[in-house]
Amino acid sequence: MSAGVGVDLENLWIRFGDFVAVRDANVNINGGDFFSFLGPSGCGKTTILRAVSGFLEPSDGRVLIGGNDMKGIGPNKRPTALIFQNLALFPLMKVWENITFSMEIKGASVRERRKRADELLDMIALPGQGDKLPSELSGGQRQRVAIARALCAEPDVLLLDEPLSALDLKLRQHMRTELREIQQRVGITFIYITHDQGEALTMSDSIAVMKAGVIDQIGNGKTIYNDPSTAFAASFVGENNVFRGKIKRIMGEEALIQTNRSGELVARISTANQGKMKEGDAAMMFIRPEAFALAPKGAKGTHFVTAKVNNEEFEGNVFNIFMEGDGGKELKVSIPNLGQSFEDHTGQNITLEYETKNAVIVPAGELAAE
Amino acid sequence: MKNFSFMRLSLWVYLAIFFAYLLGPLVIMSATAFNSPSFPRMTPWECLTFEWFSALFRDERILNGIWNSILVGAGTVVLSVAMGLAGALMLTQIWPKLRATYYTIIIAPILIPGVVLGISTLVFWDRINRMLGLGADSFLSNGLFLTIIGQSTFIASYCMLVLVARLQRYDIALTEAALDLGATHAQAFRKVLLPFMRPAIASAAVLAFLASFENYNTTTFTFGEYPTLTIELAQKVRYGITPAISALAFIIVVLTVFAALFNEASIRRKQLVAEARKKATVEELESGKLRLPGFLSSNAAAVALVVVACATVAVVGTASVYSPQQCIANVQEQKRLETEERIKELRRQRELRRQQQEEQGEAAPAQTAPATGSTGNNSGFGGVFAPGSLSGGSEAEPETEQEPQGNNSGFGNVFDPNALSGDGGESGSGN
Amino acid sequence: MPSFLKEFFKRNGTGMGSLMLGLVLFWTVGLIILPQLSMLDFSFRPNLPPPEIGGPKDVYTLENYKYLIYGPEGGSQDYNAVDLKVFFRTLVAAVCVTVFNLILCYPIAYYLAQTKGNHIRIFALMLIIPYWINEILRAFALRIIFGETGVLNNMLVGLGVFDTPFDFIRNDIALYAGLGYAYILLMIFPIYNVIESLDRNQIEAARDMGASWPMIHRRVVIPYAKPGISSGCTMVFMLSAGALAAPQILGGPSSLWFTQLIYQQFNDNSDWPQGAAYAVVLLVTCILLVLAVMRLFKVNMGDIGK
Ligand SMILES: Nc1ncnc2c1ncn2[C@@H]1O[C@H](COP(=O)(O)OP(=O)(O)OP(=O)(O)O)[C@@H](O)[C@H]1O
Ligand SMILES: [Mg+2]
Repeated sequence: MSAGVGVDLENLWIRFGDFVAVRDANVNINGGDFFSFLGPSGCGKTTILRAVSGFLEPSDGRVLIGGNDMKGIGPNKRPTALIFQNLALFPLMKVWENITFSMEIKGASVRERRKRADELLDMIALPGQGDKLPSELSGGQRQRVAIARALCAEPDVLLLDEPLSALDLKLRQHMRTELREIQQRVGITFIYITHDQGEALTMSDSIAVMKAGVIDQIGNGKTIYNDPSTAFAASFVGENNVFRGKIKRIMGEEALIQTNRSGELVARISTANQGKMKEGDAAMMFIRPEAFALAPKGAKGTHFVTAKVNNEEFEGNVFNIFMEGDGGKELKVSIPNLGQSFEDHTGQNITLEYETKNAVIVPAGELAAE
Repeated sequence: MKNFSFMRLSLWVYLAIFFAYLLGPLVIMSATAFNSPSFPRMTPWECLTFEWFSALFRDERILNGIWNSILVGAGTVVLSVAMGLAGALMLTQIWPKLRATYYTIIIAPILIPGVVLGISTLVFWDRINRMLGLGADSFLSNGLFLTIIGQSTFIASYCMLVLVARLQRYDIALTEAALDLGATHAQAFRKVLLPFMRPAIASAAVLAFLASFENYNTTTFTFGEYPTLTIELAQKVRYGITPAISALAFIIVVLTVFAALFNEASIRRKQLVAEARKKATVEELESGKLRLPGFLSSNAAAVALVVVACATVAVVGTASVYSPQQCIANVQEQKRLETEERIKELRRQRELRRQQQEEQGEAAPAQTAPATGSTGNNSGFGGVFAPGSLSGGSEAEPETEQEPQGNNSGFGNVFDPNALSGDGGESGSGN
Repeated sequence: MPSFLKEFFKRNGTGMGSLMLGLVLFWTVGLIILPQLSMLDFSFRPNLPPPEIGGPKDVYTLENYKYLIYGPEGGSQDYNAVDLKVFFRTLVAAVCVTVFNLILCYPIAYYLAQTKGNHIRIFALMLIIPYWINEILRAFALRIIFGETGVLNNMLVGLGVFDTPFDFIRNDIALYAGLGYAYILLMIFPIYNVIESLDRNQIEAARDMGASWPMIHRRVVIPYAKPGISSGCTMVFMLSAGALAAPQILGGPSSLWFTQLIYQQFNDNSDWPQGAAYAVVLLVTCILLVLAVMRLFKVNMGDIGK
């Protein structure tokens, strides 16, 4: 397989009447990457995908596939294959006919089609099931048939619209690894849509976080998780604790922030915002639950947080402590279970510490809804 | 409890009356096809005969009408299914603001009286024809064309309703998936949408054909040189009816029952097979040893179908050897005697009347006039003749030669007011 | 090109889109709208021989409508009593037929919709079979029954109900029976469709609360079935007012149906504009009547044909 065909969105705008579904998106997707769009429901993910596959004409800007402008090229002429949110398997065709539909279009003989169908069925681990109807398959099997059907068209770019959302948790986790394996095997570009950050993080080479038609941040999983550039990205991807406040002093890559509840704290300014923040700016600081450790009682300083414990729970691998947090949100702390003994702190004040590199400061902004 | 069973009883009585109203006329009409009098009647039963069937198949106009109906039906099916499908597809994607107006327009032909549709079609295409400067024999004033166009106007609405019902369950993503996999729009339509719509298209086509086949109101204005079966039947029914029409009706009834039973039987069979499949163990399925239920087992409709088929074969068989000549001759002889009796009686009466007339002088003309007048109405179901179409009498006359039996009395009766109520119907049609 | 057209062609492809648009336009404009307009236009013109059409005499006139109201010019009567009487009689009779049909069909539709079992399918088949048979033949069948020497008269005379055969045709009984007969299915189906979707639990709940059957129907079933009932009534009314075959075959000699007048104008008098005017009057009156009744019962056009 080749290195794959890249996809670029340049200043892409999509409007439905007065409603702006996608606002000035700029994305470069490298050939052969597994790229995810991550965002809450209704933020315009499907819309972007439909623009890439050719069902929607951009209102403004360009879609390039392999460097070629796709303007005016219909979905049937683009080197993409889309796996629909609801799969859209042809209900009246047998599985093998479904899979090789793209060959039927090109006029391939039944023998060729059968042969190719068998290969693909082997690949998706459904050997010998070609003569069933889609309605006679389980959800996960249908899922795989949809993938095989798309792959049979030999697209340069495979577009997947929340393909796993209809499956139960176990199967979803299994399919994640399977999808990733398939992608690595065929080596083509995958553009994947999801509102499940776990899915995005486990599978993707790169992730774009979207909010209401706007792309907030693009980066690999680690960057998105550890170095979010907006309050939305920080709060949407994974669990996070927010501390609202004002920048008091900038100290190179770090800053001292005057928080509303927990006094002055020091944290790192996120990479994307380096040099852009001034003293006095409203800001938010985020610290992950697992980035805290218990500190000696009454310890004071710019990397200690003290708060009252509301509730505690034991989750097996971690021990969760819920404390009074900022703006009505609870502050969550997860201590890994390493066999140590936990005392019950409910109702008491306890003190936590964190390392500065694990706390990031971003400009104040809208948080993701719970 | 008592109350409940009373309700059940009245329900069944109601159902019985209802279905008697619905099916009784068909049964009686079918029966008249086998009775020998030349006016379709069930009572009194004279002779079993199959003659009306051969009369039917000798009737050039009926046969020609059937052929025209098939031509019109085929054209209407193609045009109205196509327009209905396009209309239904358009309904699913039309601009929301236009939707209600559009729906009103395409549903309206169902409510517009057929007569109006026929007239407007005729008037409109006549005008187009004139505007294009074409002659009276042009394509646009051709009866076949006009009838197909006129019928399709409203039959397409029926088709649209049938198709839209199925289209609502269609996932537009299927078409998009096909396009995405490289199909052209035409291929996506043919390979994905059309197979999905096939059952509905089949229903729509059957519906369209039946509606076209039986249409009268629209066709009667547009048929031109192509009288359909319905038009021919209407002509016949209006100007003198014979049991040959009953014979045709009987054939259509039998065909209909056949089709209905066949449909029912195959539905039932599918059910049974599906049930058997469901009950079968995996082993049975894999080894292919699954015994599917026979065609006839626990399938009442299938049994009925076979019975009807056997009965038909038996009737056709009987018909080819059976000859009612003797019976008809007997009846005829009897009738002749009756007629003679009556003529004698009549003569006597006339004699009597002349005597009276001679006595009373001028009263006579006044007496005969109303008698003749009422004849026009009562004889031969004159009721159907519209006042303008007094041709009834003259049309009926040529038939006298073909059907000589039982009409001797005709002329005699005309002058006899008493005879009108008794044999009037029969003699009228015989004339 | 307007944006929605562009969108339309993008969605359906140029070829398929044009085909679809062409068919829909041909149907709506070419077969539905223009012919009606053309008939309307035609009804305002004098009856001229073909060479004079488009000539100086071809001017708009109200003659044809005046004729319906005042009769021929210089006629003996002030009003066209004959035609007007036929017109109103047709409307009244069509309303009667509709009401009769509703009363006859509602129980059947309710029964079919609320009962389960295989015999229901048989009933449905029995309902449909008569409608696969020609309209003319259905009327013909009734004529055999209602004729003077028909089965019914023979039976009634035989039973001693009448001494002499009763003239069902002259008394229009045959006609009403025939019209009712012709449209049973059109009344049953819409009502059946609606009632079938009525949750049985609603009825049971009402019964639980002690409602009587008439009460249940009045308060639960009929309000729910209103779209179906109005749809059925509209169709039956329009079709029986516009019926031609049944009145021609079953009508009495002295009582015409309005469509027969139209037919005569076209075929016997060859006065097309006059016929068109009558057709327009029939169409407009029926539509207004239906709309008025729909207004009265608060039903939407969108319910028709469901
Ligand atoms: N054809 C359309 N006309 C008008 N608005 C539309 C259309 N398609 C989408 N939208 C709007 O655009 C926005 C984005 O829709 P989109 O389908 O892209 O969401 P999504 O991110 O895929 O959501 P989900 O995760 O629920 O699938 C939504 O607010 C939606 O209402
Ligand atoms: Mg979506």
